[in-house]
Order: sequence, then C-alpha cells, then structure tokens
Amino acid sequence: MNFLIRTNWWKWLTMFLLTYTVVGGLLFTVPRLPILNETIRNLHFHVPMWFGMIILFAFSVFHSVKYLSSKDLVQDLFSKELINVGVLFGILGIITGMIWANFTWGEPWSNDPKQNAAAVALLIYFAYMILRGSLSDDHQKARISAIYNIFAFAVLIPLLFILPRLTDSLHPGSGGNPGFNAYDLDSNLRLVFYPAVVGWTFLGSWIAGIMIRVSLYQFKKDSE
Amino acid sequence: MNLVFALIKKDYLIDFRQKYPIVGIALYIFATIYISYLSFGNLINPSTWNALLWIVLLFASVTGIAKGFIQEENSSLYYYFLTSPSQILIAKFLYNGLYQLLIVGLTFVLFSIFLGNPVENLPLFMLNFSIGALGMGAAFTLISAISSKTGNQSTMMALLGFPVVIPVLIMAVSNSRNIIFGAGLTDIMGNLLTLISIIVIIIALSFILFPYSRRN
Repeated sequence: MNFLIRTNWWKWLTMFLLTYTVVGGLLFTVPRLPILNETIRNLHFHVPMWFGMIILFAFSVFHSVKYLSSKDLVQDLFSKELINVGVLFGILGIITGMIWANFTWGEPWSNDPKQNAAAVALLIYFAYMILRGSLSDDHQKARISAIYNIFAFAVLIPLLFILPRLTDSLHPGSGGNPGFNAYDLDSNLRLVFYPAVVGWTFLGSWIAGIMIRVSLYQFKKDSE
Repeated sequence: MNLVFALIKKDYLIDFRQKYPIVGIALYIFATIYISYLSFGNLINPSTWNALLWIVLLFASVTGIAKGFIQEENSSLYYYFLTSPSQILIAKFLYNGLYQLLIVGLTFVLFSIFLGNPVENLPLFMLNFSIGALGMGAAFTLISAISSKTGNQSTMMALLGFPVVIPVLIMAVSNSRNIIFGAGLTDIMGNLLTLISIIVIIIALSFILFPYSRRN
C-alpha cells in the first residue's frame, strides 16, 4: 500500500475510469437477456464492489502478516483502515445487490447462498471491529486482531468462492464457472466492466490511503 | 509426545477433579433439549429435528470449549515455559476433540430419547455429525485462545466463533439433512471432502497463528 500513497497518477486514472464507468455503464448498448434486461448494467457497479472488498481484505491480511513478523504498529493501522474500507465496499455491494434483486427476483432478500455468504462475510468483519474495541493495550490489540484477521480471511475464501458454487443459486454465474460466462459478457460489457473493476478498486485504495494518513497522524501525535 | 499426553492428562484432571465443568455441560445439553421437547411437543418434523440438533450441538460446544484457555489464564501459566506452543495446541486439539465426541454422544442420545430419531442410516449420520463437531471444535480452539485475551471472554467467544464456524456448519448441516432424507455415502462424498478440507485449513492455520497469540 505504501507505494500507492507516495504517487498520485493513479488518482487521476481513477477519476477518469469512474467517469467513464458511470457514463459508459449507463449509456452503452447492452445485450438483451431475458429477465435481466437493463438491470445487467448493475454489473459495472455491484460486481466491482466485491472485487474491491476482496482486494482490500487481501492487502489487510498482508499487513497483518507484516505486523506479526515486525511488531510495527504502523502495519496494524494499515490493516485496520483497509478493513474499514473493505467493509464499506461490502455493505455497498450488498445494497446494490439487494436493489438489483428487488427488480429481478422480486424481493431484496431471498435466502440465496451468495447473499447469505456475503452477509456472513460482513458479520466476520464486524466481529473483528468489536474484537479491536474490546482490547485496550495497543500491542495486544494489534497482535490478537492480526491473528483473527488472517484466520477470518482463510475462512472467507471457501465461504465466498467455494460453498455458494456447491448449491443451486439464482445468482447470475451460478451452476457453472465463475460469473463471467453466464452473464454473456459480450465485448460491449467488457469494454466497461474491466475499467470499472480497476476504477472502483483504486477508489477503495484512495479512501483507505486517506484514512491511513489520518490515523498515522493521530498515532504520531499520541506517541509524542 | 509425552509432554502432549501430560498436557491432555492435566486438562482431564482439572475437569474431573472439579467435576462441575463436565456435569455443567451435561446439564446444559439436557436443559436445552428438554426445553425443546416441552416447546415442540410432538410437532417436530425431520428438517426441524436436524436444525435443532445442530443448534444444540453448536451452543454446547461453544460453552464446552470456551473454558479451554480461559481457565488457564490465571492459574497454570507456568507450563508454557516447559512446552512449545505446538505441543500445547496438539494437546488442546486432542482434548477438545474428545470433549466434542462426548458432547456428540450425549446430545444424540438425549435427542433420540426426547425428540425421536428419524435417522435410518445411523453410521453415516454419526460419521458426518462427528466430523462436523470436530470441525467446530478445531475452529473454536483458536478462537478460545484469542478470546481468552479479551475482557469479556464468553461473549467474545460466541461473537468471534459463530461467523467463523459457519462454513463448517453449512456443509455439515446440509449433509446431515440429506442423510436423513435418504442420501448414501456416494451422494454426500463431495460435500464431506470439502468439509474435511476446510477443517484441515483451519487446523493448519491454527498451528501457524497460535504461537503468536502466546507472546506478550
């Protein structure tokens, strides 16, 4: 994450890509699929949230591992803020999914395996936040929450990527390989989808970067 | 390896000299099942039976294993200087595993007495039930080590443990339902292997992470 804080070319890229995503995602032609119809445009706003969340969580685990090997509290700050932003993305992903499901499945929450997995994933990270709140000593807080973070991420992977695929789901992309084929991603969709993933993920790192700077400042002020 | 057995024996002696942990869990299971019996009466169908069984097992095992590291926090820390973290963890895994099997047996017997028993393929059901319980025990072992560090141990145990144990539960509960409705070993083999591999991941991670939880 450090290399992203030091440069800012990617922030311009983010702004450009997200403008393009919003304009292109709402205006370009999309394939006419039964039931999905125009809601397929949600692909550019809902799916990248999960990409962003997983990438932010993965970076957070990376910093947790670094904390455990170096005992450097700065790593813990990185890990904490990355999780905060990852959870924000997760909540946005659930909300966009629920709005979409309301139009296609007829109700916002229908006990779908993917919805349940997403809810449990958020539950795990809410527990992480409460765990942090319940420990007072800084080093102990950092150590214990790093352990839980790594453990939780390892449980998250089967939860999000393996278990929903074993059962039937209404979710597009189920009953076969990962999401892309079933969407019938034609070149028009790809033209917006890939930039959207990059753009939203960079936006997440940007927000995380700002939050990390704030907590670094507070950390330095406190330790003086 | 002798040290591991010594540690298991220590846990066993603590539990059986004080008696109340073991009897407490047994009473806990009995009370929960009896309340279910009183509130459900004769209305219970196989799906509900299955769900109830797993819920009782979940709460019994979270209560049973929570004490594992918590009871040691004040009294018996000295032996951490004599043994390595992985020996302690192996001992805890084995002891919690035995404990889980005890809970499994007790829960199942009491359940059959009070709420009936719709299971036809008993060996397969018990195999899946035990594997699920052992998986829960494995996941709760590391969680209890983590939550013993916090101020509010038993609440944190449930709070941290329940979301983490859900992948294990999803697989085990759906297997168990399928078995009740007549699935054979070949039908649930895929799910069972996934379940076992999740448990292996949990155990492997516990060995990597546990040493860090002991350092101060």
